[in-house]
Amino acid sequence: MWENRCKVAVSGVGFSKITRSAEVPLAAHALQAVQAAVEDSGLAMADIDGLATYAELPATGHAIVDGISIVSVNCMMAMLKLPNLSWHVQVETVNIGGAVQQAVNALLAGVCRYAVVWRAMHNPRGTYQNLPGTYAQGAAQFTAPYGFGGPGQGMAVAYTRWLERHNQKREKMATLAVTQRKNANKNPHAYFYGTPLTREDYLNSRMVAYPFCLYDCDIPVQGAVAIVLTTAERARDLKPRPAYIAGYGQRLAFEVAGRIGSLSNYMEGGSSSSRLTWERSGFTPKDVDVAQIYDGFSASVIYGLESYGFCKEGEALDFIQDGRMELDGELPLNTFGGSLSTGRIHGLWHIIEGALQASGRAEERQVKDVHVSFVGASAPIVQGTTFIFVDEPY
Amino acid sequence: MSDWSKATRPIPVPNEWTKPFWDAAKQGVLALQRCQSCGHFQHPPYATCVNCISTDLTFEPVQGKGTIYSYTIMYHAGDRRFAAAIPYASIIVELDEAKGALLAGNLLDTPYTEAKVGRRVEVVFQQLNDDITLPQFRLAPDEA
Repeated sequence: MWENRCKVAVSGVGFSKITRSAEVPLAAHALQAVQAAVEDSGLAMADIDGLATYAELPATGHAIVDGISIVSVNCMMAMLKLPNLSWHVQVETVNIGGAVQQAVNALLAGVCRYAVVWRAMHNPRGTYQNLPGTYAQGAAQFTAPYGFGGPGQGMAVAYTRWLERHNQKREKMATLAVTQRKNANKNPHAYFYGTPLTREDYLNSRMVAYPFCLYDCDIPVQGAVAIVLTTAERARDLKPRPAYIAGYGQRLAFEVAGRIGSLSNYMEGGSSSSRLTWERSGFTPKDVDVAQIYDGFSASVIYGLESYGFCKEGEALDFIQDGRMELDGELPLNTFGGSLSTGRIHGLWHIIEGALQASGRAEERQVKDVHVSFVGASAPIVQGTTFIFVDEPY
Repeated sequence: MSDWSKATRPIPVPNEWTKPFWDAAKQGVLALQRCQSCGHFQHPPYATCVNCISTDLTFEPVQGKGTIYSYTIMYHAGDRRFAAAIPYASIIVELDEAKGALLAGNLLDTPYTEAKVGRRVEVVFQQLNDDITLPQFRLAPDEA
């Protein structure tokens, strides 16, 4: 087991207003989320001395303007003018989970005391994947000429392969979309809060990129979420009950860019990340009381459940049936609604919900008697990270 | 049948790794990067053999017969270059001689509904301009 397990905790969490498109600059969303997280902790902004983010805009073909389409560490520093700032980082490889892990490391190293991590996501005007290019450069030269435009189609061919290989039916995914929407209706911050979704809605919805229909895709939104991390000792003196980080991992496998349709990419990414997390925390999938698994596309949850070891390969669509993923089921899953229902804020919201469930702060969505809370914070393929939060150090 | 006539395919830009692939395609030959140490074929081209890390890599011609490994049918017009062709099938092909080297393509000369995992396909060549010819796929004669 990891000698540093439970030495760092998530304290406060914060949300901006989540809107469909940009009404105010993204920096305002990020600021709102960071302020809310600091307030939730009961801290003053001047206490914050560490900053970390992953700032990528996943939409292609749009201008990158700091404060409008991304919110970098520099942008946050310029806004907050933190008098005690002592550490910051902006990560590149594994999305926002990597920023959280860097903040954990910085706290363990003693180079900051209270770190804030935020993820701000812009929804540009017009087409999300804006692909007017006449030329296909780099890895895209072998895919874009055949109409593989955005990430959805690359995910879709892997999902087709999975469905065919395991003799499964895409209709079973309705359970995931409908259950997550039910959970989102207990989460006032979610974009689809107040909007129900039925099994019939899912089955009758328009196809986007077969086998993905509309409700297999998360909805692009404009918004930000944030968390405060600190050492376990300091966290115990703050307002919220801490969610202790028992272990984490990141994907250790990467296939050559431009290779698409391969399932091994997902399986190796997810299993390498989760193996570290199980070893460091000392837990196994059977010990987990509640799980949040990234769902930018619905199929990511399937690859997550299988590669993290919650079920065998080919069984994930059956695993989520019969109430097993409900709030009172065997493995409550994406209890906050997931990206499919909260909106596309990438994995920090999954991390937030994992922490809230561990600290007993998930209100109407709270799963009973949570001790071990698992998070798969990005698609296992490229950006995967995994976490375990617990209610008490052990 | 998808109408490709108004689709504007982006033109591949060859680089140091990929130029031999496009040079061969222009001659109507499908050539893939092959490791001279372990014999492994790979695609897309890379700096090292993904099997044994050797840098001794050469492009070798292959027959271009294989099976549909996977596919997606695109209904969304988000990529404006292909909006006129929807719905269309984008496929992934595993070649008989180069297992593990997955090639993207479209299923030409047949309705998109014919795209099924495991169906036999063969390479055909579609000229985009004077410099670039695109390897594509159609159902093999015994499947058509």
